[in-house]
Amino acid sequence: MVKKILIVICLGSSIYAEDAFERNCVACHQELPASLQEMFKRYLLVYSSETNVKAGIKHYLKYPSKDISAMSDLFVDTTGIKKKTTLSQKELDQAIDIYWEKYKVFGKLK
Amino acid sequence: MLVSKSRATNSLLGSEKKSLLRFFALYVAMVTLLIIVISSYYYQTQEKLMLSNQRATLFKYAYIHAKRLKVLHHFFDERTDYPRDPRFKSAIYDIEHMPIFSILEEKNVRFDEEITMVGDHIHFLKSLDDFYLGTKYIIIEVEDDGLWRELIWKNIIGYGLFSFFFFMLFGLYLAKLFLKPMRDSIVLLDRFIKDTTHELNTPLSAILANIEMMDTEVMVEKNRTKLNRINIAAKTVSTLYKDLTYLTLEQEKENENEHIDVKALIEDRAEYFTILAQSKKLTYEFDLAPAMIFMDKRKFTRVIDNLISNAIKYNKRNGIVGFNLVQGELVIWDRGIGIKESKIPLIFDRYIRFNKSEGGFGVGLSIVKKIVDEYNIHIEVLSKVDEGTRMILKW
Repeated sequence: MVKKILIVICLGSSIYAEDAFERNCVACHQELPASLQEMFKRYLLVYSSETNVKAGIKHYLKYPSKDISAMSDLFVDTTGIKKKTTLSQKELDQAIDIYWEKYKVFGKLK
Repeated sequence: MLVSKSRATNSLLGSEKKSLLRFFALYVAMVTLLIIVISSYYYQTQEKLMLSNQRATLFKYAYIHAKRLKVLHHFFDERTDYPRDPRFKSAIYDIEHMPIFSILEEKNVRFDEEITMVGDHIHFLKSLDDFYLGTKYIIIEVEDDGLWRELIWKNIIGYGLFSFFFFMLFGLYLAKLFLKPMRDSIVLLDRFIKDTTHELNTPLSAILANIEMMDTEVMVEKNRTKLNRINIAAKTVSTLYKDLTYLTLEQEKENENEHIDVKALIEDRAEYFTILAQSKKLTYEFDLAPAMIFMDKRKFTRVIDNLISNAIKYNKRNGIVGFNLVQGELVIWDRGIGIKESKIPLIFDRYIRFNKSEGGFGVGLSIVKKIVDEYNIHIEVLSKVDEGTRMILKW
C-alpha cells in the first residue's frame, strides 16, 4: 500500500527530476525498505527477459494488485499496494526503459 | 570409332558386358547406400549412448552452477564476477534465448535438445524454474575427447569394408547366375557348329576341286553360267567353313609367324573372291603399295578374307570394293549399305548380324577382332548408313 502511495507521490513531485524515471519513481522508492535494485531482481526472477520484465512492470503499474506483485507477501502486507499510475503511456514507457537500462544484468557480469 | 584391342573383351560379348556392367553399377550403388545408411544409424546410436553416459556428470555441473547463480543473484550488483569452474564452461540465457553471459567456446547453442554435440564440445541444457539474474537456461559445455568417435570410425571402416567385399563376392555369384542362361546358349551353339563343320570338309573339297578341274572352254554358255553359280555358292560355303573351322579347331594351334607380302596376299584373295564380286557386278579399286607384316599367314588370310567377303556381301549392285595399302596401314572399303553409328561397337560380337538377308553365322568379324587383338593390330571402323564402310587396320 505504502509502495503504491509513494509511487503516486513520486509521480506528483517529479517536476524537478531529470528524467521520467527520476521524476516519477526514485523519490518515493527511497522511502521503501526494498531498493529499486532489489525490486528489479524480483522482476528478473519472475519474468527473465527484457520484454517480459518491462511488460510485467507496466501491467503492475497500470493494474496494481497483490496477486500479481513480484514482491513477497510480507513486503506487500507491510507497504501496501500502490495506486494506479496516472502517467501517460509515453512517460510510463520511458520510465520503465530507464529503469531497465539502469539495473539490467546484460553487460555487467565479468 | 576406334575399337579397343583389349584381349579381355573377347571373353565376354558386348551385350553380356553391358548387362554385367549395368547389374554391377546398380548392385554397387545399392550396397554402398545400404552400408552408408547402417553406418549412419550406428554412428548416431553410439553418439547418443556416449551422450547419455555424460548426462549424469553434466547434470551435476549444471546443478552446481545454478546454486552459484542463486548466490550471485542475491549479491548482484555488489558482486559481478560470473562463477567459473575449471571442469566446465558455461553460459546463461534468458527466456527469449538472449545470452546474458557466456564463456562457451562453441557459441552455437541449441535449445531444443537437452544434450548435444556441437563441434568438438558437448552442450548440456538445464532449464531453471527461478530465473536468477534473469536466467532461464544454463548451458554447460565440456570438451569431447573424441576417443569414442575414433572407435566408431574404426568399426565403421572395418565392418563396412568387410561387408562391402562380402557383398561384392555375393554379387559376383549373382552375376554368374544372371549370365548363365546367355552363356549356356552360346556354348550350345559353339558345340553344334564344331560338330557340323567337321562333316562339311570332305564334300566341300570335292565340289571345289571338281569345279577347278572342269574344262569350261568346251561348255556351252548356259552351262558355264550354271557352273559359275555353283562355284560362287561353293566358295561362299568354303569361306564360312574356314571361319567355323578356325573358330572351333584351328585357333588353338601354334602360330607359324612369317613375313607376309601383304600386297600379293590381297591380290590373291581379291582374285579368289572375283567370281563373288562379279555376281553383284562389283568392281575392285586397288591402290596398293608394297607392305609387309610378320604374322601367321593362315590368320592374316582369315582377316583379309572376312573383310573382303563383308565388303562384297554388304555392297550395292554395281558398287566398288576398294583396297588402299601402305606400309603399316590397310584400308578395305565399300560403297555399301553401311552400319548405324550405335551398332558399330557391337559388330565384333560373335553371332551378331545386322542384315538378316545375308547368309552367315555372324562369326567373321569376331574372328577378325580376335586375331588383330592377338597381334596388337588396331582396327578402326568408319561407317555411314547408305554411304559405305571403311575397315582400317594399323600395325
